[in-house]
Amino acid sequence: MNRTLPVARRHPIAATFGLRDFLPSFAVLWQRRELLWSMTGRNIRSQYKQSILGYAWIFVNPLMQMLVLTFVFSTILRIGSEVIPYPFPLFLFVALLPWMFFSNALSSATDSISGSASLVTKVYFPREILVAAAVFSKIVDLLFGLLILLGLMVFYNEYPSWTAVWVPAIFAIQLLFTIGLALPLAALNLFFHDVRYLVGVVLLVWFYITPVIYPVEMVPDRYKVLFDLNPLSLVLNAYRRVLLDGTSPGWDRMLLGIAGALLAFLFGYYLFKRMEAGFADRI
Amino acid sequence: MPTGSEPPGIEFAQVSKRFQIQEGRTLREFVPALFRGRGWSPPFYALRDVSFRVARGETLGIIGRNGSGKSTILKLIAGVMAPSEGEINVYGRVSPLIELGAGFHPDLTGRENVFLNASILGMSRKEVSARFDEIISFAELWDFVDTPVKRYSSGMYIRLGFSVAVHSDPEILLIDEVLAVGDAAFQEKCLARMNNFRRLGKTMVFVSHDMDQVRQVCDRVLLLHEGELLAEGKPDEVIRRYLALLQELGPDRPLRQRIR
Repeated sequence: MNRTLPVARRHPIAATFGLRDFLPSFAVLWQRRELLWSMTGRNIRSQYKQSILGYAWIFVNPLMQMLVLTFVFSTILRIGSEVIPYPFPLFLFVALLPWMFFSNALSSATDSISGSASLVTKVYFPREILVAAAVFSKIVDLLFGLLILLGLMVFYNEYPSWTAVWVPAIFAIQLLFTIGLALPLAALNLFFHDVRYLVGVVLLVWFYITPVIYPVEMVPDRYKVLFDLNPLSLVLNAYRRVLLDGTSPGWDRMLLGIAGALLAFLFGYYLFKRMEAGFADRI
Repeated sequence: MPTGSEPPGIEFAQVSKRFQIQEGRTLREFVPALFRGRGWSPPFYALRDVSFRVARGETLGIIGRNGSGKSTILKLIAGVMAPSEGEINVYGRVSPLIELGAGFHPDLTGRENVFLNASILGMSRKEVSARFDEIISFAELWDFVDTPVKRYSSGMYIRLGFSVAVHSDPEILLIDEVLAVGDAAFQEKCLARMNNFRRLGKTMVFVSHDMDQVRQVCDRVLLLHEGELLAEGKPDEVIRRYLALLQELGPDRPLRQRIR
């Protein structure tokens, strides 16, 4: 238990959140890390508990998406068979998997606080834990998806080179960016229920303007800038480069990516904390 | 009893809590309203200029009709809400009794929910494991530990919730009318436990509509009416005042009439 609690404590919800409140609030988060794990566990266990196939559903969804997208875009539309030097399902899945993580995490995180209304109006704990747990619980789906990816690699006899060691670093960037975006959306969703629908529409558009089903090389030059500004496009291309092309992103680009993701996270966290005081009033 | 020299448990100084009653919750309703120059309807005071102190080891009862601001006070103490005006100081670790369903996830078992609920209250896994048997024994739920809680009756929910809260070793325990749900035997057990807490010098805030329970456990009682502190003192006096007020006012008026 938290024995180090000060005799007099400030009210946990401060109406304002300033620059010097970042470190203390990260310290509190570190103290409550066990809660983050149990919330994540709760999400994972409850997600598939009611279903007959149970955890098998984790495989069904990405597998189906891959098969359908492959059929439509590779077999019917014959996308880029001359620009993609590897089998389309493999090419697709390396990007589809992290995209699905991003998309699922973002939509479930948007609902994470409004969905725990009875808890939020009852007891204080850092609310960002709900958002982070919603994102973290989707990592399980991602890990199961990796098994499919592994199966595809064995099937096509295409194995990644040593550059695959960059994957965790790229994922860290993606994770930070995802949480940074999810935090203010989850908070705003309490004030305006439109946000959840907006997120659905934005994700739909975002999917098509991100090179998941097509290689970024096919994009006409005058639209290229759109893809250089799209963080998801950069991240997904990085996965493809290190897993399929065997090229290393280099330290400089990696550091830039981490810096960018960190900035997005801190900004999202700041917005979230500014809105936090009003949560219980709005539910 | 508060003496002023001892450190208190809880301190409210001129606390007000205002709500903006928000009619529309979607942008479609909000944006046009903003252009018409009235984004929000006038404020509603859930609490108005309320000051009191709860001494360490004291049990404070809060009574009043529905919507008088009782739950708002608990939310402010729990740190779930911030006051609109005034200052609140809470000295020590607070455990709210998490009511029906709140910390509980319907598809998870009683065991899983105990761990989840306790970790929300700030206990570590190790501590919960150490006290797990005690928690289940107190709640008398050994036969249902591995049953999903959606199959529990409302009484079982409460027993589990109460048991987790009292075993989380709080310095300040908040109890919000939940005892009305359990059966008589369990209510007795809870009241005994609360009296035990009192002897241990814990601070408690108890909200209830059951005047007998309030008389049994509280040292001092606050009477709230329409967000204002109407009376404060010995349980018997304040309860008498409350009953008189009820007589005078008749049945509860709907909340809307109180918007100022």
